[in-house]
Amino acid sequence: MPTLNYESINTNTDVTTTRTLLHESIPLTGAIVSGTYGQETSEENIKNYTHGMFQSVYDYPYLSSSANHIFDITMGYHSSSPFSSSASEQNAKKINLYTEFAQVLLGYTGSDNIVEIFESDLDFGDNNNQMKSCYFVNFSRLLTKDQVKKGSFSMTIGTGSWLGPFDLQAVAANGSTSGSAIVITDASSSEVGGTNTKGNGGEYAVLYRRYGTEAAGYTYSGIGAANENGVGVIFYQAGIVVLTSSIWDRMGPPIKAIGQGTFYRRHEGHLKQSISGAFTGSSISGACDALRHRIANISFNNTTEINSTIYFCRAAHNKFNYSSNPTYISGSKIRVKNVSSDSPISYITTIGLYNASNELLAVAKLSEPIKKDPTTELTLRVRLDY
Amino acid sequence: MAFLDNSGDIILDAVLTDLGRRRMAQGNFKIIKYAFGDDEIDYSLYNLNHASGSAYYDIEILQTPLFEAFAYSSIGITYGLASYARNDLLYIPEIKLNQVTNDQAVLTSNGLVYLAVNAETATALKGADALGSAAYYLENGSTSGYSMIFESGLDTTDLNADAANRTSYLVANNLVDSTYNVYFDNRFISNAATPTRTSRFTNDSSGNDKVSVRLKSSTATSRATGMTNTSVTTAIGINNTVYNITVGGASDTDVSALKGPRGSATAANFTVVTGLDTDSSGTQDSKFSLYGKTGQDLFGDSKTYDYIETEVIIEGLNTGARIQQTVRLTRRAS
Repeated sequence: MPTLNYESINTNTDVTTTRTLLHESIPLTGAIVSGTYGQETSEENIKNYTHGMFQSVYDYPYLSSSANHIFDITMGYHSSSPFSSSASEQNAKKINLYTEFAQVLLGYTGSDNIVEIFESDLDFGDNNNQMKSCYFVNFSRLLTKDQVKKGSFSMTIGTGSWLGPFDLQAVAANGSTSGSAIVITDASSSEVGGTNTKGNGGEYAVLYRRYGTEAAGYTYSGIGAANENGVGVIFYQAGIVVLTSSIWDRMGPPIKAIGQGTFYRRHEGHLKQSISGAFTGSSISGACDALRHRIANISFNNTTEINSTIYFCRAAHNKFNYSSNPTYISGSKIRVKNVSSDSPISYITTIGLYNASNELLAVAKLSEPIKKDPTTELTLRVRLDY
Repeated sequence: MAFLDNSGDIILDAVLTDLGRRRMAQGNFKIIKYAFGDDEIDYSLYNLNHASGSAYYDIEILQTPLFEAFAYSSIGITYGLASYARNDLLYIPEIKLNQVTNDQAVLTSNGLVYLAVNAETATALKGADALGSAAYYLENGSTSGYSMIFESGLDTTDLNADAANRTSYLVANNLVDSTYNVYFDNRFISNAATPTRTSRFTNDSSGNDKVSVRLKSSTATSRATGMTNTSVTTAIGINNTVYNITVGGASDTDVSALKGPRGSATAANFTVVTGLDTDSSGTQDSKFSLYGKTGQDLFGDSKTYDYIETEVIIEGLNTGARIQQTVRLTRRAS
């Protein structure tokens, strides 16, 4: 509104644009995912739906307004998977879910538009290393922001028994060399390579299982140390992790004794199931419960792309040395002067950015007043982020 | 708004205003200029007599905590920093409401300017038990009665109010407001009357009041940029050649509200929006109860009044000086 002394912005010299990638570390502890807010079937931070096709995980009881949605879990298999059978629990829905993920993330192939099948390698078109039965973990955009940072994803899951998924007793059963808690990472991926960009769902990389120790140096392989194919894939822009069910293949069949070889113990009747049993004989939400129970932690860095316009607002030596602030004068005399030969002084606290109609479109505040007089020239850099 | 952390490096906290976001949504977000403001600064804290010397003159000003950026465009920058070509200015004009000239300058009552919304109210306000004189109120939309007269110039006795000082301190520095902006709330006021070019603001060689301000309805009213419910119109600045007659004659301060060299003057009266001007037998506009008070016994004159108090702002375009005056829009209720 007031009559201000405006200075024009020269778009050639006073404006520039930048692109910045901001990363935040997102650590998710397993206790949040399972255990903190109740036990199986009555966990207050787990939301199951009547359609039963996925379950949502919150960081707090989801009925609270303080709760944040952190990810969804679901599972499914391809129609050609050995698990696919009309006798399987929610068979159609499991196939539909697998197909939905595949068509969105991978796309179609051939003249018949056949939906691609997930593979645990970077070439999903060669039909090698197919993953026909998978878990899908869809992270909330609240966490992933624009995308997951490549090479930052890590997930520790248990391959031990239902009662002790992270106990060492399952080492032998699972062929592990680093305990029953295995670490899955996208360590082979980075901003400069290690990803596939041909899928419909953006860039993805292979998730490998980590072997060894930090002291001795890590190596990365598949289910077994000799395997070169991975155990899943991660889609960075989509924020979706696909894990093959084969991770738990080496676990033994269901037995009655506590501790050995049981992927899932269904709450009702304490029925124990192997991974194949969970995929065929459990509901989707039940199988998701089983995976959540085995998540020790998940961590990754997200990425926020910030596009900025920087305006260089210059106060030349002969500009902005006076003020229209009512306190600037007393009896029409400038307060900061004794005599006319004294230099005028003003103090900048605010920068306003205007359009041609003198509308204030953006405003920037300094954290402390800056003195301006004819002996100084200032360039204040105002950055607007989009 | 919280204060910004001023314990470390100087930082800039920048935000889009509500207007900026709206323009972005409309696809016409284009920044082409900038201005600086100093709204938080109280220059009276500048202590030219600080015992520790000149390095401490502005110590309190520099310690002023500053707010985070306001996202509301109307309060982004109220007072801007100004640029003048010369660095040796010691005086800057201000605007004063003139209540001394004989030429129908409306007088304030308890700091308020009354505006009678209709003839019935004007008659009531003129009563001896009320304001007692037509000099104390404006008549709705009148271009021939009393008006608010404003002067821009130097209100100081340091400088003699003569033609030479007017030239050297004001004219030579482009500090004569040739145009004014008149801001008003368009919920209550539909238009302003401003001076004609034949108006004059002067005294004669004997110091006699020769002020003659004539008004006409303004035609350049538009919505004020970045201000909610506010319209603005421009008013010409009449050369203010009231001088101090040093030998004999009447005092210049009997004509002018300023003590020093004067630059220009302007005047304004206002027309209230239709509906506010009904007489006591008509329907009372709901705005009186919504924004003002109704049925008030203001003067003990056995009459009651409805009123709305609103602010009008007069701003000199050359100097950036501003004055804000409260106008009480008054309607006789019974």
